[in-house]
Formats: sequence, structure tokens, C-alpha cells
Amino acid sequence: MVKYVVRRILYMILVLVILSMIMFFLYNLIPYDRAANAARAEVANNKTVKLDYDTVYLKYQRLYGTDGSTMDRYLRWVGVKPYYNGEKKGILQGYMGYSITYAKDVTEVISTPMRNTVRINLIATVVALAITIPLGIACAVKRGSVFDNGTQIFTIIGYSIPVFITAILFIWVFSGTLHWFPASGMGTAGEKYTGIKAFNDWLYYMALPLIVMTFCSLGGMTRYVRASMIEALSMDCIRTARAKGLKERTVIFSHAFRNALIPIVTLVIGWFLGIFSGSLMVESIFGLNGVGKLLISSLKTGDYEVVLCLQMFYVLIALLGNMIIDLAYGIIDPRIRVSK
Amino acid sequence: MKKELKNDNSASKVKAFFVKLGKGIVNIVKTVGRWLYRAFMGPSAVLAREESKRRKQALAEQENNSASNLDRVDGQVLCDVDDKSYNDIVCDNAVNADEATDIDDKTNKKRNKRRKNKKQDDNNVEEIVSPFRQVFKNFFGKRLAVTALVILILMFGLAFIGPLCMPKYSDTYSEFFHLNQKPGFKYLKIPKELASDVKYISTWDAFSAGLSNSGKVYVWGNTDIGASGIDVGKIPDEVKNADIKFVGAGEDHVVAIGSDGKIYCWGKDDVGQLGKYETTELYYEMPAEIRDGVNINEVSQLVVGHFVTALVMKDGKVYMWGAKASLLNFESIAALTNVEKLVFEQSYAVALLKDGTVSTGDKNVFKKVYLPDGTKKDLDAFTRGRKIVDVAANQSCVALVLSDGTIGFGGTVDEKTYTTGIPDGEKITQLVSGQRHFVALTDAGNIYTWGSDILNQTKMPKASKLQGTDTIYAGAFASYAVKDGKVLGKWGWKGYLFGTDASGRSILQRSISGGKMTMTVGAVAVLISTVIGIVIGIISGYFGGWVDMFLMRVCEIVSAIPFLPFAMILSSVMLKMDITNNQKIVLIMVILGVLTWPGLARLVRGQVLAEREKEFVTAAKAMGVREGRIAFKHILPNVISVILVSLTLDFAGCLLTESSLSYLGFGVQQPSPTWGNMLDMCKDITRISNYWWQWLFPALLLATSTICINIIGDTLRDVMDPKSNIDK
Repeated sequence: MVKYVVRRILYMILVLVILSMIMFFLYNLIPYDRAANAARAEVANNKTVKLDYDTVYLKYQRLYGTDGSTMDRYLRWVGVKPYYNGEKKGILQGYMGYSITYAKDVTEVISTPMRNTVRINLIATVVALAITIPLGIACAVKRGSVFDNGTQIFTIIGYSIPVFITAILFIWVFSGTLHWFPASGMGTAGEKYTGIKAFNDWLYYMALPLIVMTFCSLGGMTRYVRASMIEALSMDCIRTARAKGLKERTVIFSHAFRNALIPIVTLVIGWFLGIFSGSLMVESIFGLNGVGKLLISSLKTGDYEVVLCLQMFYVLIALLGNMIIDLAYGIIDPRIRVSK
Repeated sequence: MKKELKNDNSASKVKAFFVKLGKGIVNIVKTVGRWLYRAFMGPSAVLAREESKRRKQALAEQENNSASNLDRVDGQVLCDVDDKSYNDIVCDNAVNADEATDIDDKTNKKRNKRRKNKKQDDNNVEEIVSPFRQVFKNFFGKRLAVTALVILILMFGLAFIGPLCMPKYSDTYSEFFHLNQKPGFKYLKIPKELASDVKYISTWDAFSAGLSNSGKVYVWGNTDIGASGIDVGKIPDEVKNADIKFVGAGEDHVVAIGSDGKIYCWGKDDVGQLGKYETTELYYEMPAEIRDGVNINEVSQLVVGHFVTALVMKDGKVYMWGAKASLLNFESIAALTNVEKLVFEQSYAVALLKDGTVSTGDKNVFKKVYLPDGTKKDLDAFTRGRKIVDVAANQSCVALVLSDGTIGFGGTVDEKTYTTGIPDGEKITQLVSGQRHFVALTDAGNIYTWGSDILNQTKMPKASKLQGTDTIYAGAFASYAVKDGKVLGKWGWKGYLFGTDASGRSILQRSISGGKMTMTVGAVAVLISTVIGIVIGIISGYFGGWVDMFLMRVCEIVSAIPFLPFAMILSSVMLKMDITNNQKIVLIMVILGVLTWPGLARLVRGQVLAEREKEFVTAAKAMGVREGRIAFKHILPNVISVILVSLTLDFAGCLLTESSLSYLGFGVQQPSPTWGNMLDMCKDITRISNYWWQWLFPALLLATSTICINIIGDTLRDVMDPKSNIDK
């Protein structure tokens, strides 16, 4: 087991390195030169002394470490190769880069949106699970009934409609027509609430995004739960349990559901990890200060170090997620042997 | 005689040719039909059909035989002891011929009987059909799936045949007079009471104002002014009760003058259209001397433009008010004192002076004048001392009519503007203009219309219907021909079925064109991903070893990339590159295709792993078939059902991703429409709730398509997976 985990981690690091290289080289396709911009600004601003552009440019290039080949820059970015002042300042040292738009370190820029995103997604996932698991079980048990067929059609519709259409529709219905919830923002502007009042205000503003996110994840999850429950219900042990004369409730919840839980748990883990990148669309539509919105605005303004950092973060999360899912499989289902 | 013969000859030749052609077509259809039949039912079904045909023929022959045998029977009954069961049926047809015939007959009948029994057996035992036919049958047994398929086919028809039906459409055309127009066909809906009693019709933009001879004002068209909640169609009560003499419609306001000289203005008032804003750099207040009313007998013309209104008095004085900034020559025109007629172009005013010249105030626009034959002349050379008697202005140019009927055009002129189509010798008696077209009435009583035809402005009714027209009115994109106050004919733009977007583009046309784009991008992307997925899946599954290892690691890396963010980054890199819009679209397809293949590759690999251990692969290997051929020719057809299902579901997935990307602005760029980027304006509540048609229709089309595709994919999976059939 330990050997397997170590091997997986090593492999993950290899993939991470390859992906980070791909990302970094991709970014270098974008014509953007931070040193040139800074040098031009300094030459233009400094009216008293006539500066030589080339020397200023060189100075900034050395400061930012943007000279040399793409590989050199990549190594500096990772933190393997030192800058001209001898200091190593890269990802390995915990320095993620510098945001031009916010004039801050990327780590600072990212922290608040990250918190918001995680909070929103956590709630949405929990609510969605609370609805989908009972719904999926009910569908599987009453398979082929009107209820099941209705739910099936509903779930197909649910996962066929893109998030932004659902969001627009919900905004139209709940904000535009019924005026129940605000359509954007994260809190009443200018109000400084504390305690329970602050929470209520937050909830009032978050209600619509949360509803949309929950609604969008209903379709896929319900189908997944239903499918794994159907598979579990067709197992021999269920027939045995029924033959023994157990109560149907016991059969379903302690025999079938336990077996169905194995794929569901992996789904849930994947879902939790997908939290970080999940709400990109919703954040951009509802104007929430989250990671997704930050990514979009950074892409549009050309703040590429933020984008690069976020992208690496997404990749890391995805790789970690895959590994955790694999390990979880082994832990939950003893029949699968991970060390093999 | 000879000629006739020749004719006959050629006729028969033609006939023969057509017969031949017909036969050829029939043959082709038959062959295609046979292919299709084979494709769907499998070769075994073809054999079975041929066999049954042969049998039927044999049966028919034998029945003929037996019938002829029976003819010879002369009615005597003879029981057959040997074959009771046979007798049950045939004893009434007793046989009484010589024994030889009798036996012959009997054996025949026996054979028939057995065949009949066998046929019955066939009906009891389920017929063996090819897998494809089974799938076909099961699929068409499901009502929901068939409905979805029909809707999807209609969607494809809309997306791929629809664009052929709109030759006038272009992605870049936008009509800035028709921004945010509601769905409906109201522009030409002139009220019935007015249609038989017209005194005057005025149109500038999306609505028209009309005046009847009895002094009543009517307003029709899209009378809602944007999201402001103002409806110019709600005529104020004081206007309803007054006897109105003049009326004029502007961009978003209406002006009327009563018989007592009182001036009524209603509508939107954001840039001083109603004359209530104090005179500043931007606005111009209604002149004080007319604020309480004018001498109605002195008014010669009320002309309403974009955001400005002007009153021309009979003595040549002009009173103007409204948004000063919307006209380049506002003040210099307002200062004129010898005006005969005033017209508004989009950005300046043109005055016809009492001395037969035109003035554009301090903005001297008429250096060159275009003639109908396309020649360009200086204004002086054009008039040559003749008087200008009429002017009309459309959105970008001004038409001048001289006293002898010659017409010339100044301003921004193109070929469509000066090609009037009026024959020599006919003199223009009346000239009116819409925003992009002109209408002229000549002394011969004919009506001519020319200019842009994108909104059907020049699609005139038949000339016979317009016979005897004495007055013509035109404005925006509509024209009316009137005789003695009765509307004889109206033509122009009726309205938009799905409304227009924020740039004044028809949502219907863009939905159709965008459907084509969306479907194409989705289909090509899914094809790319399927090809990559199949090739990698089969190679990896069939060859195994280090190839498998390597390909699966690549697969894992690609699937570890979070899809939407990465696609966004790729396309933002792409957008920064210096390439044409079409190349960008191709790149989007490639990006989508290249990022979505791992799922299918894994699926195919799993299937291939199971298939490659089977006997037929061993047999193929033993026969010395090449490895690549085994993988792609022998194994691939066995995993085709999995591929087909994944193809369908991935297609829906690609439609969704493409539209999501386009919605966020990282997919297909404007002005090329897709169902996703048509919604990219709808990001705030005001637009979503006020202009519901701008998102509802594209969203509806997109959602319907993806739902249908998913239903079809789901049903296909159910139908193709034999396991799911068993446990049902």
C-alpha cells in the first residue's frame, strides 16, 4: 500500500512537471514583455534625465528574469535557477508570481476568491447530495414506474442544458419576475453587518447562485446514483437477503445501498475536488468574487501570472483528485487491490 | 411531311432517352435501397428475403399446378386412409383421377401443407435478425427517442437548409435603427380607421405616426421605447381630444400640433427631444415664442428627426429644438430665415431655400452630386442655374430634384442609391425617402423605388394595385401609396419574428446561421476527438505492452487538465494571434476535439482488450492477416456500438462546451453567430428581464438540440447493450 502510494505520488510529480512545462510554453506564445513595458514607462516618466532605453530594458529584464531562453525562464519560474541577484524565487519557494492588474503577489490576490469559491461550492455540493442520493435510490427501487421515467426525463433535461442558460432562466424567473433574490453581488453594498445578520445577508445574495449550482448538478448525480443502485440491486446477495425474508427497507438500505455506495463515494470525492474549478460559469454570471471570475478577468486583462498560477492549481487538484479516488476505491472496496 | 416525320423521330428519341433515364434512376434507387437494406438488416436478411421470394414463387407455381390438377377431378370422393391429417383439409377436394395423378396431387398438397406448418412455426419462434436490425427495431419502438430524433432532424434542417433560404443575410449586417426590437410584425400595421382616411404619415424609426383627415392621431409599430417603460403608442388624452393638424414621428418621440396652434410632444425625454431641457452645449430648448402655441395657418411643415424637431413657417422661418449634439449643423440651420423645406439626414439637416438652392448651414456637404448614370459632378455643374424643387434625405445621403425632373444625390452615395430605374422622359413629381431607400412618383403615375433591399424596402406590390396613386409616404423601412386618403399599397419591413439584438441584428436569422455554426463546430470537434480516441484506444488495447503504457499515460495527462479553464486559456492565446476569424473557428474545433478524446480512448481500449482474446482474432492471425488490419478491420467493427453511443453523447457535450466558451467570450467571436455567443450580451438582470427574446430563442434551440441528442444517445446505449434488455 505504502509502496503504491509512493509510486503514485512520484508519477504525479512527473505529470505535474510535464504539464507545467506545457502551460509555461503555451503562455510564452502570448506576445507580452513585462520588462519592456516597465522600461518604456520609466523612460517616458523620467523627463529630467535622458535614459537609454536599452540599458533600462536590460535592467528590468534582469530584475524580472525575463531574458534568456524560454527554458531559463521556466526554471526561474519553478525556482531551480537563481535570478541575477542570486536569489531563487519560484514555485518551490512558495512564490507564485506577481499580478500586474492588482499590483500584488498572486498568492494574496487568490486567497479571498478561493475562500469564496470553496464555501459556495461546498454548500452546493452538500445540498445536491442531500437531494440526489434519496432521489436516485427511490428511482432505482421503483424502476420503470411513472415516477422513475419522469425523473429520468427531468435529469436528461437537467444535464443537457448548459449552466449559463439555467442561470439566465433562474435570474429571469426569480429576480426579474418574482423579485425574490438579487441577481448579482455578494452582499448589500455599504452595509456592515455582523454576526447572524451578516450571514443572513450573505445567504440572501448567495441563494440564487446556490440554487442554480445545485440544480445543475442534480441531473448527472441522480443518474449516477440510480445506475449504481440498480447494479447493486441486481446482485445475488440482494436476492439472498430477500429470500431470507428481510424487510425491504433493510434490504435496500443496509445491503444494496452499501454496495452502491462504492461508486458514489468516489463520485463525491471527485465532486469535492471539482469544487475549485466547478463554479466558473456561475461566478461569472452572478458577479461573485470567486476563482472562476478571477480567471476570466485575468485572461481578459492579460494578467498571465495569475492565470498560470490558477491553472497549475487546477491541474494539481485534478491529479490529487485522481489519486485520492484510486486510493479510496481500495479502502472502501476491499475486493480491489491497489497494490497490484 | 418530312419535317413531321423528323419531329416524330426526335420525339421518339427523346421519349426513349427519358425511358432510359427513368430506368437508370430506378436502377440507382433500387441499388441504393438494396444497400440501405443490407446496411440496416444485414446480409443474412437479404439472403432470407431472397429465399422467401423464391419460395413464394415456387408456391405460386405449385398452386397453379394443383389447380390444373384439380380441374381434372370429376367430383367423386375418395378417402385417403394413409394420411388423416391431410384429409382433414383436402377431403372436400376429393380426387378421382387415375392413381398416378392422385398420388402426384397428394404429394404436392402435402408439401404445401408442411410448408404452411413451417410458416406457422416461423411465426411462433422469434425471427433471427441481424444486430443492427434489432437495434433499429428497438430504437424505433421507443416513442420518446423517435420524437427526439425527429426534432433533431428538424433542427439540422433548420441549421443547414435554413441559411440557403436567406440570401440577403450577412453576419456583419446590423440595423442601428432597429436595436432591441420586440418580436412581432407591427411596422406596417397601419390602423384600419386610418387606412381609409390618411392625411399624413411620418416614420423615423421603429414606429410610425399618422394623421387622419378628421384630425385624429394614430401611432403604430414597436411603440415601446427600449427598457425605459415609455410607450409612445399611449397617446396623451389632450391630443386625443384635440383637432390635430400636423404630426411627426422621431426616434423615440412624437410631436403633434393642434388646430389651436398648441404643440404636443410625448415620448422619451433623455436628450431634450421634447424641448424641455434648457439650452446648453448639448440641448436646445423649444423657442419661447412658440411654447404657448403657434399660428397654425403660418406653419408650412413639421419635420421630426432623430432627436430633433423643426417647425418650418410659411415665411421661411425655422423653429428647432432637441438634442443639439445629434446634428452637426443645428445652429446654422436654426438661424435660417428663408426655408422652403427642411429634411433631416442621420447627422445633419438640409434646407431647401426659397430661392431654389439648398443649404446645409455651416457644414458644406454638397461638393459632389451623383447622377443616376453614376457620373459625378460639382453641385453648380449639376444645377446649371436650374432651380432645386424638392429634397429628400435618407440615412446617409440627400436626393435633389431639379425643376425639370432631373435627380441627383449628394452625401455618402453608393451604386444602389443612384440607380433609380426611372426611364427617361418621366418626371418626378414627388420624392420621399426612408432610411435606406427612396420612393418616387412620376408624372406618368408610376411609382419607382430604389436603394437597399435588405429589409424588403424595394419589394413593391404589383403596379396594377397602385394605379392612380396621388401621394406617397415613406419612412424608416416602410412605404405607403395613397389615393384620395385611402392606402392602396404598403411595402417594406413588416417585423422580426424573434426580434433583434442590441446591435439591431435579426435574432431569427442569426439563430439559423448560428445553428449552422454551432452544429458544424460541434460535429467537427466530435469527429476529431472520435478519430483520435478510436486510433489511440485500438492501438493501445490491441498492441498492449509499452505502447499501451505510454498512450495511457498521455491519456491520463490530457484528462488531468481541467477542461474549461484550459480551453479558455488556449483560445485566449489563440485570440491574441494574428489570424482570420475562420481560422480561429477551425482552431476552436481542434481545441475542443483534442481535449475530449481520452474518455473514448479508454472505452475503446477496454472493449478491444476483451475482443482481442476471441477466436476470430486468433483465426485471423493464423491466416496471416496483418496486425494493423486485424485491429482496424476485424476488431473495430465489433466495438462500433460503443463508439456510436459515445459519438452521440460527445456531440451534445461539444455543443455545450462550445456554447459555454462562446458565451464567456472565449469561443467563436462576433460577428459570426453561434447559439452560445448570441447570449453573450445577456449577463445582467436588466437585459435578461427586459429583452427576454434575445436569450430565449437561441437558448431554446440549443437546449432542445442537446436534450434531443442526449435522449437519442441514451436510448442507443440502452438498445445496443443486450444486458439492459435481459434484465428488463
